[in-house]
Amino acid sequence: MNTSGKIMNCENYREAIAADPSESFEGGAGHAAVCESCSAYRAEIQALDLTIARALAIDVPELKIPDLPPIGEEDGNVVNLPFRRVSKITTPAWIGIAASFALAAVIGMQFVGNGPSHDQLLAAQVLAHLDHEPWALKVTNVAVSEERLAQVVNPGVGTMDHDIGLVTFAQTCIINGRIIPHLVIQGEKGPITLLLMPDEMVSSAVILSGESVNGVILPVGDGSIAIIGARDERIEDLKQRVVDSVEWSI
Amino acid sequence: MSSSNADLKRRQRFDRVVSALHKDLYRYAAWLCRDPGIAEEVVQESLFRAWKSLDALREDGAAKSWLLTIVRRENARYFERKRLETVDIDSLTPGQSAMLAETEDPNVAEMREAMYRLEDDYREPLALQVLMGHSTKEIAELMGIKPGAVLTRLHRARIKLKEEVAKEAAA
Repeated sequence: MNTSGKIMNCENYREAIAADPSESFEGGAGHAAVCESCSAYRAEIQALDLTIARALAIDVPELKIPDLPPIGEEDGNVVNLPFRRVSKITTPAWIGIAASFALAAVIGMQFVGNGPSHDQLLAAQVLAHLDHEPWALKVTNVAVSEERLAQVVNPGVGTMDHDIGLVTFAQTCIINGRIIPHLVIQGEKGPITLLLMPDEMVSSAVILSGESVNGVILPVGDGSIAIIGARDERIEDLKQRVVDSVEWSI
Repeated sequence: MSSSNADLKRRQRFDRVVSALHKDLYRYAAWLCRDPGIAEEVVQESLFRAWKSLDALREDGAAKSWLLTIVRRENARYFERKRLETVDIDSLTPGQSAMLAETEDPNVAEMREAMYRLEDDYREPLALQVLMGHSTKEIAELMGIKPGAVLTRLHRARIKLKEEVAKEAAA
């Protein structure tokens, strides 16, 4: 019998043994004990597995531990992380974005501190993305399913707790060539877009303000989170809640 | 505990965890990317990240899954969207060729080549199961897929390898 309570037939057994040659699945040993042919198949698969194990066990070079910085001496400026590949946004993308940007007539991007052009271009991509997916911005009290949310905010991205608010839209999107979760939560003044970008660093908070929207791209760990709502949405009140709700995978 | 004492203990813990798991990390990385040079780089970057986040690892017993997750993510970062699904076995880099050629057993060499040709989706769960001893549930969690999908991929991976080896034997 297998876990579903049915008697295991040869086909089921062979599929199961090829997936798990240790035969830890229920009913496997019982079937093999009475089926000579499947018992032989098991032996064949187990022999194959020995060869697979030997093939996988390639030589390993000597362990080299990289130079490790003292903990606590970093100033939190993620731009200074060693080994970090600086992402690039191409100029043509920026031009295209600028041309198609209709969400607000002109979004004035005001930068806190001396934001490098990468921050500027990332902001442009973020805003253009909203322009491309206007259907995401609807007022509703219908939450996306947990399953859907788990698919979008998957373990490769990180974890997100329920304190973030009512999530009414969840989809993976591409920003700067990377697949990222695009979420919408319901704010006081309407839908609020959240773009979780675990691999997009910004040098400091990028403030976005326009005729119809306002928002911010916050540096969070090695990445950033964009929060964009209606013009009169109090984004400031949301920032901490959003940041506290999200934890990147390492 | 003084700060320097705490730092020392932290470093000792890191060294202990890493030295015990280094082989697994390297082999996993190598089978993910199929290039020894890239694997070394991925492991180096992973170790750096692990060092920074060591305090997030509550128990050393969970270190293996924790580090493999870091390696997996680092590998994805490395390739981002440029990752190739297949590697042409006839145009390998010297490092890749060396990885395949380091065994004298023809059966193992044949299997290694077959593993090399196997699609990423099949090769990874197989390496996690056979090399790392991961359960179906652990593989599912690491790869972000359902246990049923893991079993399907494992089954197909072995069938493909079996067929490849049989084809080679017949040739």
